[in-house]
Amino acid sequence: MEKIDVPRLINIVGEDNVKTDPADLYIYGSDSSVHSARPWVVVRPGNTEQVQAIMAFANEEKIPVITRGGGSGMCGQTVPVKGGITLDMKRMNRILEINPSDVFCRVQPGVVDDDLNHALKPFGVFYPPTPASSRIATIGGEIGNNASGVRSVKYGATRDSVLGMKVVLPDGSLVTLGARTRVEATGYQLHKLIVGSEGTLGVVVEATLSFVPIPKFRCLGMANFDRLEDAGQAIADIMASGVVPSMLELVDSVAIKAVNKTMDLGLPEVEAVLLYEADAMVKEAVDHEINAMQQVCKKHGGTGLTSSYDAAERAKIFMGRKKLFPALSKFSDVLSSTSLADDMAVPYSKMAETARTIHEIAERNNIIMTAYGHCGSGCMHTKILMEPTRQDQWESARTAVAEIYEYVRSVKGTTSAEHGIGISKASAFKAEKSDSLDLMRNIKKAFDPNNILNPGKLMDAHEDWVTATDLRYTIA
Amino acid sequence: METRPFETKHLDKWKSNLDSCIRCGYCYEHCPVFKDTRWESDAPRAKMIMIYGLLSGKLEPSAYISDKISSCFYCQRCVAACSSGVPLTDIITDAKRDFQGTEFETPGTTSVTNTDCALCLACVRACPHEAREFINGKIVTDTVKCQSCGICVDICPNQAVATHLSYGTDRSSLNQEIGTFLDKDNAKAIVFGCNWSYYPDLQSSVMDPTEDPEYKILINMCGGRLEKPLLLEPLLQNAWGVLVACCPDGDCEHDGNVKAKTHVAALRELLKEMDIDEDRIQLVQIAHGDKTGFQASIDTFMEKINELGPLNNR
Ligand SMILES: Cc1cc2nc3c(=O)[nH]c(=O)nc-3n(C[C@H](O)[C@H](O)[C@H](O)COP(=O)(O)OP(=O)(O)OC[C@H]3O[C@@H](n4cnc5c(N)ncnc54)[C@H](O)[C@@H]3O)c2cc1C
Ligand code: SF4
Ligand code: SF4
Ligand code: SF4
Repeated sequence: MEKIDVPRLINIVGEDNVKTDPADLYIYGSDSSVHSARPWVVVRPGNTEQVQAIMAFANEEKIPVITRGGGSGMCGQTVPVKGGITLDMKRMNRILEINPSDVFCRVQPGVVDDDLNHALKPFGVFYPPTPASSRIATIGGEIGNNASGVRSVKYGATRDSVLGMKVVLPDGSLVTLGARTRVEATGYQLHKLIVGSEGTLGVVVEATLSFVPIPKFRCLGMANFDRLEDAGQAIADIMASGVVPSMLELVDSVAIKAVNKTMDLGLPEVEAVLLYEADAMVKEAVDHEINAMQQVCKKHGGTGLTSSYDAAERAKIFMGRKKLFPALSKFSDVLSSTSLADDMAVPYSKMAETARTIHEIAERNNIIMTAYGHCGSGCMHTKILMEPTRQDQWESARTAVAEIYEYVRSVKGTTSAEHGIGISKASAFKAEKSDSLDLMRNIKKAFDPNNILNPGKLMDAHEDWVTATDLRYTIA
Repeated sequence: METRPFETKHLDKWKSNLDSCIRCGYCYEHCPVFKDTRWESDAPRAKMIMIYGLLSGKLEPSAYISDKISSCFYCQRCVAACSSGVPLTDIITDAKRDFQGTEFETPGTTSVTNTDCALCLACVRACPHEAREFINGKIVTDTVKCQSCGICVDICPNQAVATHLSYGTDRSSLNQEIGTFLDKDNAKAIVFGCNWSYYPDLQSSVMDPTEDPEYKILINMCGGRLEKPLLLEPLLQNAWGVLVACCPDGDCEHDGNVKAKTHVAALRELLKEMDIDEDRIQLVQIAHGDKTGFQASIDTFMEKINELGPLNNR
């Protein structure tokens, strides 16, 4: 452990909320990414004042601080590349207020997404950005990554639901950003800047979020496509037709194979499956949207069209998508599913071509990649299935990741749709945003002149993600 | 005592399984150990990470690690939640095997017997996992076999069995929670839920006390380890009722539901004798994962309790 005044931290949060055992540091050194490093100490603040005191201390001593929620980030956002203090926010987990008449709630950053939705349900409302990881993702982490999910096509990402927040700045001062109102035009919308800043600008200690009514009717449909291109065309047409799906998901052939192989769901072995959902307060509105989407699917050769309003039936239809992660992990005994080139967004018209290109790049580089995602919001996800113990596979992964993002830029897509940049997507991000990097650096400097908050990420990250940190796998 | 050096003999075979763990953290949510401390180091994912560290040589074995790994109630919630099919409890058991007999071995949540033991051997007979043995005039727990179910803790007439670490599942912690809750204005009932049922409540977050709930769900590891005095405690503290939730017949690995049923039946008898409506203590059996069923049972129970009114009305 580096030299750090642990007793001073104990003074702030109490002995029970500080960890320094090598095992703790190893555990808190990784997240859901391929990266691994170790903090010098893990500290758990219980309130805003403690966060302020920790930041003031860290700023004075120029110690890196890595704010951590559930630690489910996929790109190394919470991996402490330069050591320092990992600030575990899970103790600040109170839902402070649910205000149905003013349509907002106030929460501490450690509140878990599913819990918030559980608490909102009796009011007939929900908080919509909800990532797939909502059972462990904290509101602070969702703000950090600007998380989104299957329903973001209709309801937007985290940024669209955040009305305001309280933030502790690196010098320990506390600022209140945004408002409690639906609209605001009062100067710079700094709370929106904090969303997606990956813990590099300030520590969110409270967030004011808006919510929406839970629709009375939901209908989920499915269509199979023999050709990926046809599915892609269907997506573009659906989005251009004026229909507003509440979900539009693409699953490719690799994913279908994986699901069939491990779960025996008996999905048709086609090139692509589309899942589409509509929701509304009246059934006719849902019928209308579902019909419109099915017409588009049919027009583009979609077969096996099914749909259902029934919750159990919907769960059955969605099973293949839901069980995709386990399926990919169990795809083969020697291959591991790694979170690399994990996420991107492309224009609707390029969806199919992107999926096709991902497959070609994978094949050329001797790895397996799947393409799936919330294509209704332009979001495409992949996973690289590889043997993580083989050095040559990492070389292949490096090339594949670079090629994929080069392609994404060529079609005017963007490096991340929702998982963020962290370490593993930093070089692609820098290439994409080359003309605004200096501006971003200046903004960072204005917030954090000593560069103590999550250093080594985004603009500040190593050029080569493979060697930026230890990899969490053991390479032979 | 003679110890042997630590080797990853039993763990070696799990290397590729540990690579397949995508570290998503889906296994945290319902882990009672994590939920009690809310330190990531106590979550199932952390157990896998530590084991990975031991296998890769990135972590040195230590009593600290052994204690973390041996702190598991085998509720299998993590296994059910895992997105990659990682057999967590099998891996944990093998880690315990590798720690057993080394200088680092620690009891974690497994049971220990203190000097008040009267050698009646009731616990040895009651242990559903054959983890208690009478050796050289002493009762010894096999830390590998022990699944921390707590049946022996409940059965010991001398209160000579305890767990070194209990993560809020022991009698005194539960008693304390009962007291704190029942002090609140609107508090009426305690619901004991077992960690197997997907209890319909906030998992990792808390509501600020703006609303005063009528009941509190207290999670225990198994209906079978709820001793009668504990079940009665809420009523002694003027609660209007107690609901015990356990697994359906045949579903409990420790047969704890059988014991819970016996306990509740006896207590209902007792209430009757005292001229108190026996429905103030009820038992429901909830299928694994039936969150909706659990909530419905609680609602029905609360309806009944509200009908009966405060306990001093009888
Ligand atoms: C299986 C799986 C599925 C996923 N699915 C999705 C998905 O569908 N959509 C999606 O968007 N993401 C997804 N993710 C990625 C990730 O889970 C989400 O982005 C999530 O929001 C991260 O939340 P967390 O609490 O784990 O944050 P962490 O990983 O702990 O942190 C994320 C970032 O936020 C910062 N941060 C955390 N708390 C604060 C705070 N209080 N103040 C300031 N900064 C803070 C951190 O420094 C870090 O940069 C998935 C991940 C996994 C493992
Ligand atoms: S079996 Fe239960 S107690 Fe043990 S690690 Fe898994 S969730 Fe936690
Ligand atoms: S749920 Fe499974 S894959 Fe995810 S962190 Fe836990 S053990 Fe690993
Ligand atoms: S009864 Fe349960 S707690 Fe006691 S030794 Fe056996 S398995 Fe362990």
